[in-house]
Amino acid sequence: MATIDDVGLSMYREMVRGQAAEQWILRLIDGGEALVLYHSARGQEGVAVGSIAPLRRSDYMFYVHRGVGQLLAKGIDPVELFGDVLANTAGSTRGLGAGIVHVVDPSVGVLGQSGTVGGTFPLAAGAALSAKYRDSGQVVLCMFGDGTANRGTFHESANAAGAWKLPVVWLCENNGYAVSVPQSASTPVADLATRAAGYGMPGVIVDGQDAIAVYEAVDTAVRRAREGEGPTFIEAKTVRFRGHFEGDPQSYRGDADTAALERDPITLLADRLIEAGLATDASLAALAAEADREMERAVDVARAAPVPDRSRLFEGILA
Amino acid sequence: MRELTFTQAINEALVEEMERDSSVFVMGEDVAAFGGVFGVTKGLHETFGDRRVFDTPLSETLIVGAAVGAAITGLRPVAELQYSDFLGIAMDEMYNKAAKWKFMHGGRLNVPMVVRAPEGAKGGAGAEHSQSPGGLFQSAFGMYVLMPTNPADAKGLLKSAIRDDNPVLFLEHKALYSKRGPVPDGEHLVPIGVAATPRRGDDVTIVAWGNLVPRSLQAADALADEGIDVEVIDPRGIRPLDIDTILASVEKTGRLVLVHEAPGAGGPGAEVAAVVADRMIDVLEAPVLRVTTPDTYFPQSVHLERLMLPGVTEIADAVRKVMR
Repeated sequence: MATIDDVGLSMYREMVRGQAAEQWILRLIDGGEALVLYHSARGQEGVAVGSIAPLRRSDYMFYVHRGVGQLLAKGIDPVELFGDVLANTAGSTRGLGAGIVHVVDPSVGVLGQSGTVGGTFPLAAGAALSAKYRDSGQVVLCMFGDGTANRGTFHESANAAGAWKLPVVWLCENNGYAVSVPQSASTPVADLATRAAGYGMPGVIVDGQDAIAVYEAVDTAVRRAREGEGPTFIEAKTVRFRGHFEGDPQSYRGDADTAALERDPITLLADRLIEAGLATDASLAALAAEADREMERAVDVARAAPVPDRSRLFEGILA
Repeated sequence: MRELTFTQAINEALVEEMERDSSVFVMGEDVAAFGGVFGVTKGLHETFGDRRVFDTPLSETLIVGAAVGAAITGLRPVAELQYSDFLGIAMDEMYNKAAKWKFMHGGRLNVPMVVRAPEGAKGGAGAEHSQSPGGLFQSAFGMYVLMPTNPADAKGLLKSAIRDDNPVLFLEHKALYSKRGPVPDGEHLVPIGVAATPRRGDDVTIVAWGNLVPRSLQAADALADEGIDVEVIDPRGIRPLDIDTILASVEKTGRLVLVHEAPGAGGPGAEVAAVVADRMIDVLEAPVLRVTTPDTYFPQSVHLERLMLPGVTEIADAVRKVMR
């Protein structure tokens, strides 16, 4: 098992890359350049980065709409990401997308995202079935929120994955809210991971603010999957620092959330790196500055690309 | 030429494509040792084993969605739904995932999969096991909907469907499974999107789908005795639609009768009628007529089911009406 010594700094770097990218996206929205609805990942970086770090480039990943950090960590080119945000031909979808919703790159295992949340569960089972069929050793990471966990698609997919011992990791980013509805109002159990027993797989609860803990849980699940022992359900308890989308007034949020907002996964990892003698405030600040410069360069390149013409509407419907 | 049943023809297509390409596999409810509820996959499990022919849980959403996931990662799944009515259970997977995944993601992922689904009324299966839902997918621009009407087409179209890089919904009429017909020896492929014209004629064009193609041909034979020369066109499916063949026929005959087992509302004939009206209203010498099931549901009673289905008489009457 890798430790903070091995993966801590690279995970920190991915965290600040994700954060820098998000800040640039918000600037593009504020400046009127990007006409997109954006779902901030702020507060959930521990899950994003901790879950991608154990994966190989060839492993598959189905992300979530709050997924800027995991997309970059998996290997999506920032220029393509910003091209999608700007809805121009630099994007991974060559101008078809707008935002980070359908960012795709099969060469790094990013197989896309479903517009209907929870639509990726059966696809993830199918990709895992495919990996097993081809004996490729690939693992599928399927991310979803606590609200999405209530879709029926999850039941059918988890059941088949359990029955067939498919190499898939179901990773629930539980931030406590499905848009505005708190988990307690929609879900009969406090811990979604308890559902795993019904599908014959381990159910693991992990502190999503602790990137190293997420790394360890996902790494264990990935090894298990690669060795043919089947799926794992991981529930990472996390906190959404901003609204469901930018502009969400969050009137539904209670006072109890205030304390949770103080556990910032970026600060927590920084403190541990410094305690372990692996970094200093200055070295971490340098990583953040470099990430910001990288994203600024990517934004500049993406900005130079043209928007597509009408013909783009009719391309890519059929092979 | 040897004769096969429709079922044997489909089975032969599956065997040949699985032998040809190791990325082709078959999954569905009861498709393995049991051989499928309609017997279409008999023997495949014995020949190809657990890895390539396997039973799924009773999970239509999983069957279609997992086929999409397998297809975008390099395999060519052939998934069976026991009844095409169950497409409704997997509608998001069929209509939003299979049909749109490529488009939504900028054209970067192909979805080479086939969903086989028996359709149509036969033997009192009732309102939820007798439908012809192909028309629901007329706006599924990213997928094909094929409907073979004879064993040769069943084999040739299915082989083409499995090799195609697009998702295909392959609808098999249950009443056709036991029908025999000539099937060419050796490699036999039928191109996707090309209508067949099983009967040439100058007076009236019938466009018919599925199980009503053979009945339309019978009606045409009967009408020939009355001196009415009917052309029968079998589009072999709903998407892509070979509208050029239909328009050329109507240009010649000036009369059009549309025949299908799906109800008129939302059936494939509605779209053809609209396109013909749009493109050649001045050519038409009579109103376009449709012969379909009425606007009600299939009953479980076999007696009442028979009264639902358009027969040779209804088709012939419609042709006589446009000839008046």
